[in-house]
Amino acid sequence: MVTVRLENVTKRFGKVVAVDNANLEIKDKEFMALLGPSGSGKSTLLYLIAGIYKPTQGRIYFDDMDVTELPPKERNIGLVFQNWALYPHMKVFDNIAFPLELKKESKEEIKKKVTEVAKMLKIDHLLERYPYQLSGGQQQRVAIARALVKEPGVLLLDEPLSNLDALLRMNVRAELKRLQKELGITAIYVTHDQAEALAMADKIAVIREGEILQVGTPDDVYAKPWCKFVGGFLGNPPMNFVESTVIRESGELLIGESRIPAPPKYAELLKKFDVSKVLLGFRPHDAEVIELKPNMPDPPMLVGEVFAAEPLGRETIVTVVLDDETYVKVFASKEQKFDVRDKVGIVLDLEKALLFDKKTELVLERAFEKKEFS
Amino acid sequence: MLTDVEVRSKKTEVAITIAILMASIPLFLAFSLLVLSSFSKEMMTNLSLESFRFTIENWINVLQGKLAFTGGIRQNILKYTFNTALVALGVAGVVTLISALSGYALSRMNFRGRKFLLMFLLMLHAFPGVALIVGVYLLYRLSLPSSPSLVTTFSFMYVIVARAALEVPMATWLMKGFFDSIPWEIEWSAIVDGASRIRVWRKILLPLIKPGIAAILLFGFLAGWQDLIYVRTFLVEPTLATYIEANLEAEYSHMPLIAAAGTLYLLPTIIFFLTSQKLLLETHSGGIKG
Amino acid sequence: MKKYSNLFQLSFFLTPALVIIIVFYLLPLVLTVYMSFTPIRNWNTERYLSQFIGSYNYYRIYHMVKYDPIFRQVMINTIIFVLITLIVNVFGGLLISLATYFINEKSSSTLRLVWLLPRMSPIAVYSLVWYYFFHGSEIGTLNSLLLKLGIIDKPIVLGQGVIPWGPWSIIVFINGLVGVSFGMIVFSSALSHIPRELVIAARVDGATNWSISRKILIPMIRWHILYVFTWQLLSLITSYAHTFLLIEWGLVNRDYGTTLSLYVFLTAFGRGEQDQGLAAAAATILAIIGTVLGFLTLKILKFERMIAKPRGDI
Repeated sequence: MVTVRLENVTKRFGKVVAVDNANLEIKDKEFMALLGPSGSGKSTLLYLIAGIYKPTQGRIYFDDMDVTELPPKERNIGLVFQNWALYPHMKVFDNIAFPLELKKESKEEIKKKVTEVAKMLKIDHLLERYPYQLSGGQQQRVAIARALVKEPGVLLLDEPLSNLDALLRMNVRAELKRLQKELGITAIYVTHDQAEALAMADKIAVIREGEILQVGTPDDVYAKPWCKFVGGFLGNPPMNFVESTVIRESGELLIGESRIPAPPKYAELLKKFDVSKVLLGFRPHDAEVIELKPNMPDPPMLVGEVFAAEPLGRETIVTVVLDDETYVKVFASKEQKFDVRDKVGIVLDLEKALLFDKKTELVLERAFEKKEFS
Repeated sequence: MLTDVEVRSKKTEVAITIAILMASIPLFLAFSLLVLSSFSKEMMTNLSLESFRFTIENWINVLQGKLAFTGGIRQNILKYTFNTALVALGVAGVVTLISALSGYALSRMNFRGRKFLLMFLLMLHAFPGVALIVGVYLLYRLSLPSSPSLVTTFSFMYVIVARAALEVPMATWLMKGFFDSIPWEIEWSAIVDGASRIRVWRKILLPLIKPGIAAILLFGFLAGWQDLIYVRTFLVEPTLATYIEANLEAEYSHMPLIAAAGTLYLLPTIIFFLTSQKLLLETHSGGIKG
Repeated sequence: MKKYSNLFQLSFFLTPALVIIIVFYLLPLVLTVYMSFTPIRNWNTERYLSQFIGSYNYYRIYHMVKYDPIFRQVMINTIIFVLITLIVNVFGGLLISLATYFINEKSSSTLRLVWLLPRMSPIAVYSLVWYYFFHGSEIGTLNSLLLKLGIIDKPIVLGQGVIPWGPWSIIVFINGLVGVSFGMIVFSSALSHIPRELVIAARVDGATNWSISRKILIPMIRWHILYVFTWQLLSLITSYAHTFLLIEWGLVNRDYGTTLSLYVFLTAFGRGEQDQGLAAAAATILAIIGTVLGFLTLKILKFERMIAKPRGDI
């Protein structure tokens, strides 16, 4: 099996930079998700690995072999396209057998391998049908079978689930993850759906405008985003960001009228460096909405009024407008009842809250490290 | 856009390109020698550079209508060009008008016989033209005006409409295709607002299919411009096509003159060709999708 | 009320086309059939048009098929011309469109442009260009090329001297290229509608240009190949304009270049004695052949399935 390594890979189309100096390593047997919004260059990155595109600069290695100049067929990869790219005039069997026929394998060998992979993907009863006679989910399995039948070193998947309906997508997600682990194959998976990436991948690379912003395990990327974009792209609803002013003397943050203590892990940093404007980031689950009652000692909190409450069944998303017109979303338990315009407070779990530099939008520890802050 | 893998054998690609280039040589040679010869004292078609002596005399003579071998007789080539253009523009206009009307009805209106009419039009498109021309000519003879002063005008009108008729079936199918591509909702909203079909057609759909109309105009123009058989059969006045047909048998020394006339005749085709390639391809692929 | 307004609107849109079809297709067809039963010659309508001679003209054709060597040659020419040119059309068009499919966008569109010339150029210019190319003297490009290469030592008069393959190869070549243009346009357009992912997927699996063409591209444009095949068959039976000029200009031998449709045209409009009655009879036979083939073509290509019903009930 194969480790894939990209070194300073840049791809330009004319003046447009699709991939900008990407460095990435996908370890053997790892499931890597390339996550980013549409047009971010994630598919280009995949096609570079596949050999469909040739890098403008940089090298690509499979294990220790430089494959930058190798045509796709010599890279031993399996590729699954977004629209699955099944040959409409061939039966399922011939579709799956096609790569083997090109390798000039014997008839018996082909038959054996196709049946095997079809059984594995539970499509062995469909081999005599044409693609148009299959459902979306079945077509997708055929595409994966065609990619796997030649026993590739790397499996490349370009948004293979985006043409399926939502319910089916959830099922296939689990199956695909299990399949990858069972086969122990290196897999690279392009998606714009953060939930998909979080659910399936061992590692996620978040990409924006051709630049790899962060690579890490799903937990890391979710809990410790390196920049505002990553925090805002993962999670549903995404991370909230509130503009705040640092009061250096007391180590507090001033948000509109309210003051709250800065998250403890930043106490040292804020003392050391001189920074005044920061973005306070927190996930909707890492806060609590409370009703404001008169004559009660208030805990430190953000203050605002309810804009809307959306019950989701198990819990409720409460959208709150803060004093300074910032909208934040927080989960509340379904027992709590809110009406529009109720005055509420938001109490944060400060252990999990993050601070970002306002100008560079990097999380503070990295901003200081790189000495890039306002 | 994704086209083909970028990491592929350049050698094969070069080999293919060279192969097509080789295959294109006769075609390329034949046309460029015509153009070159029109600027030369002697024909260049013998492939020897010695025969090339640059001159624009051929062009001057052609434009002045001097044909050396007929001595004094002057041929008004500008008039012929004008005649050719008149036929071409006429055909373009008639074809476009008629197909814009019928294409709309066949795309948007449901009536008994619609399917039959569409199939029938395809049959007509494939119908042997030579089987028609005998009858079309008889009709022409029978309807010729008795007053000689009207004959020229009549022959122009007749050749335009008769030539246009050959293109109407295909053009109707193409127009239908253009109308098909406009969403129904646009039309429905206008009809709900109280517009008649005729009004919807004129005010809403025609502006929306402008590119299609341009394509059909061009298609009709080129059909009329390139025609030989109909103009030589019906038209009293000569055109560029009949001029070349009649004067080719000039002696060798005057061949470059005909080459100049041929180049002149080819010019609009080349111009349209280079400027509106996409439009042309759209109509010439037949608008028929499998 | 609504019904009448609908009818009015429908006739507004359809009348012009219907009038054109009736006047320039149906009426001439009736006239042609009628003429085939009269002895009309030299367009002397006053004298002959009212005479009825029954199926005499058809009998003459039957007789000619049996005994007239010139007419028999016309039939042979037609068969040879149609069959060979058809093959050239389909394979040439397919070859060029496939070849240009595999090279970069810029060179392929330029090359295709050159191959469009035969179909786009005016008939007279296109014929003129090849008239010079195949000319039977030193000014003929082909001759001078062969002379220069030392393959021949004096010019060959291909269209008149090398019988019958000389004239045949010239008319096949010239009409063949026009059909190659047509085939290339249709095939290239069809190929461009095939999702590129299919080709790329095959590349990733190691397919060569040859296996991509054979296993994916050609099977996927089967309908278009059939379309070009049947359509060209029909149009070859009835096309004669280029050949007409080449024969008139003396490049191609009249006896070995004339095909059936040109024969009809020359009999009706040619120099010297014209015999429209005979021409009309031959034209009627051609029309019947054309109609039957056309009908079969539409059935084979399943055009009917492509006609969708208009939406809504307005």
